[in-house]
Amino acid sequence: MKKIGWIVLLMISLLVFTTMAEQITLRYWMWDPSIKAKVQAAVGRFESIHPNIKVELTTIEPRDYWTKLRIMASTNKLPDVFNMSSGYIEEWSANGLLLDIQKYVDTDLKISDYFASLFNMAKYPKGTGDIYALPFAWVTPVLFFNKTAFDKAGLSYPDENWNWFDFLNAAEKLTIVEKGKVKRWGFWLYGRYANVEPWIYRDGGHLLSPDKKRFAPDKNAIETMEFLTKLVTTYKVAPMKKDMTGVRSQDVFPLGMAAMWVDGSWNIENNRSLIGNKFKWGIAPVPVGPHGSKKILYAWPDMIAISAKTAHPEEAWELAKFMSGPGLTMNMYMAGKIPSYKPLADSAAFLEKGKQPSEKGILLQLGKDEMVNSFTKGWSEWRGYGAAEGLGLNGALDAVMNGEMSFQEAMQKVTSYANRVLSRYYK
Amino acid sequence: MPPFSNLRGGFLKKGLKWYRPWHAWVFILPALLGLFVFRLGPIIFAFFMSFTHWDIFSPPDWVGFSNYAEMFSDPTFWTMLKNTFIFSGIYVPSVMVIGLVLAVLVNQKFRGVNTFRAIFFSPVVTSAVAIGLVWGWLLSPKYGLLNNFLQLFNVAGPSWLGDPKWALMSIAFVMTWKMAGYYMILFLAGLQDIPVVLYEASRIDGATPKQTFWHVTLPLLSPTTFFVLIIAIIDSFRNFQIIYTMTRGGPGVSSTTLVYSIYQNAFVFYRMGYASAIAYVLLAIVGGITLANFYLKKRWVKYQS
Repeated sequence: MKKIGWIVLLMISLLVFTTMAEQITLRYWMWDPSIKAKVQAAVGRFESIHPNIKVELTTIEPRDYWTKLRIMASTNKLPDVFNMSSGYIEEWSANGLLLDIQKYVDTDLKISDYFASLFNMAKYPKGTGDIYALPFAWVTPVLFFNKTAFDKAGLSYPDENWNWFDFLNAAEKLTIVEKGKVKRWGFWLYGRYANVEPWIYRDGGHLLSPDKKRFAPDKNAIETMEFLTKLVTTYKVAPMKKDMTGVRSQDVFPLGMAAMWVDGSWNIENNRSLIGNKFKWGIAPVPVGPHGSKKILYAWPDMIAISAKTAHPEEAWELAKFMSGPGLTMNMYMAGKIPSYKPLADSAAFLEKGKQPSEKGILLQLGKDEMVNSFTKGWSEWRGYGAAEGLGLNGALDAVMNGEMSFQEAMQKVTSYANRVLSRYYK
Repeated sequence: MPPFSNLRGGFLKKGLKWYRPWHAWVFILPALLGLFVFRLGPIIFAFFMSFTHWDIFSPPDWVGFSNYAEMFSDPTFWTMLKNTFIFSGIYVPSVMVIGLVLAVLVNQKFRGVNTFRAIFFSPVVTSAVAIGLVWGWLLSPKYGLLNNFLQLFNVAGPSWLGDPKWALMSIAFVMTWKMAGYYMILFLAGLQDIPVVLYEASRIDGATPKQTFWHVTLPLLSPTTFFVLIIAIIDSFRNFQIIYTMTRGGPGVSSTTLVYSIYQNAFVFYRMGYASAIAYVLLAIVGGITLANFYLKKRWVKYQS
């Protein structure tokens, strides 16, 4: 009897030890604490499918996320799986910090379930190399327009066939001047990337040299930027940026100060909360320029990457795969961020019938086009972004639109500045 | 007789047998450790960093003086340096004069004086982000209160924050508005230190209030004024938050100061080495000015004996 007891004990402890040995822990970092509970729930679903994997979720405010993640990288303590942005993926994969997941994508992923173009933006070297991250969401700038204002002006709504002429014509009619003062502008823009680049790409233009290592706006890009600055300086259908200080740039359109605006699709959320039922509004593709094609789209994904030094690449891949598609739910996406996983994007929940804008379906159409962007190392520095908005191309275009500098002078200055920055990163 | 000597001779004598002078160090050790690890350590570290190229994730690359060379040959650095000095040139005198005037006003005895003190002080403890937002609205060119008010007199106000000629000055103004209350409190403490007998004596001698202020109050306040001057100068170089919320250094670099540029380079571009180099230039400037102040102090600061 005593013997049997010992054997049972031995077997139980053996069982316990083997399961303990199989039990592994993955660390997952993401940048949106506002949806922590929902992500935690998704992680829970993952753990119940993979009982041997435990996931430690950490959410960090976006403004601290990159500094903290860099410090983890420098001390070789990167989490196994973490969110990665389009702006940084080149730098991170070039530094050997990300796991090459090409073989997993080839063998374990149905690419047709995703907006395929997004994977091109996760490659290193850019566009040609192996895949280093999985897209879980993507965004693209669209034309926001005030339907109530269009109705009053007797204009038909913009569609995918709109060109610059249609756009300018509408912008002029939508600009309302009373007693020499503009009461409402037809359009609103400043030197911001999401206000400018979508026009450039839909005019067949490029900001960078073909090897993407130098700032070299081509003829079409110059044509586009000149057209855009003239909306302010010549056609006077859009305000100078300096006249709009004090109003957050994303609030100008929803406050009804301008009837049209081109910016990222994620602004749907802010528009909804500020506009409410004050007026009707919609979204349309960005108008196509004289040298462009409507099959090109300025867009970029948010991604999930795996640390090159993870001890459990297979399990990390399972987690990344789950958290970039099958494991997600529509309520984890801010309105206007589009799931990269088609079963989710094509669901009725994405279209949000009954809510403004009623045209959310066009985002799915646009997703079939060829997606391009111009992120490089040092992008925020030469482009002028966020806390450095006054610098680079953003600052230069603002100076033109504020009437402080001629277009030619601004282009000369920004070209030499941007290439000084880029030459530090691309020797 | 030194204080507590009777205690030492008395009941504590036995209890303090174990006491050695070095024990005091044990008590200040935590504070010292904190100072070395979290202040001096990074300061020294940053000095070495300023000779490297460091993007945080790869190990620092020793590049000698090239950060400094790049900085001094970059025309925008000189613009930012100029902006830094213009900002200080506006901020330091305004905040001192306004702080002193407010202090003199609330140094009187009347009903509700404490309420006024609290009101003048409240912007100091309000977050710079909130202040930046509210002043952003007030100074908004087309929709702001200020320009609409000026419109009543047929004056077309400029874009206070969007025009390169005005942006830096507007920021210096808002920062002065925010911080004047702090200097008021410092001056107030100084004013209350001046013995009443001196005022009585000057009144008996027939001095007018104006004469009393210039010949009694100001000279006796000079130690406080000196302290305030040093603090205000150092403070004037730390204007990051208000710039971040109001102009982000723009338009162009017209409201970018050295501190703001340090932030951009360190936490937007992750050029830690270059940011450290700018920080060391700033440190040299602040240190130099403070030293000069201490040197010049004997010419105008009068201590009460």
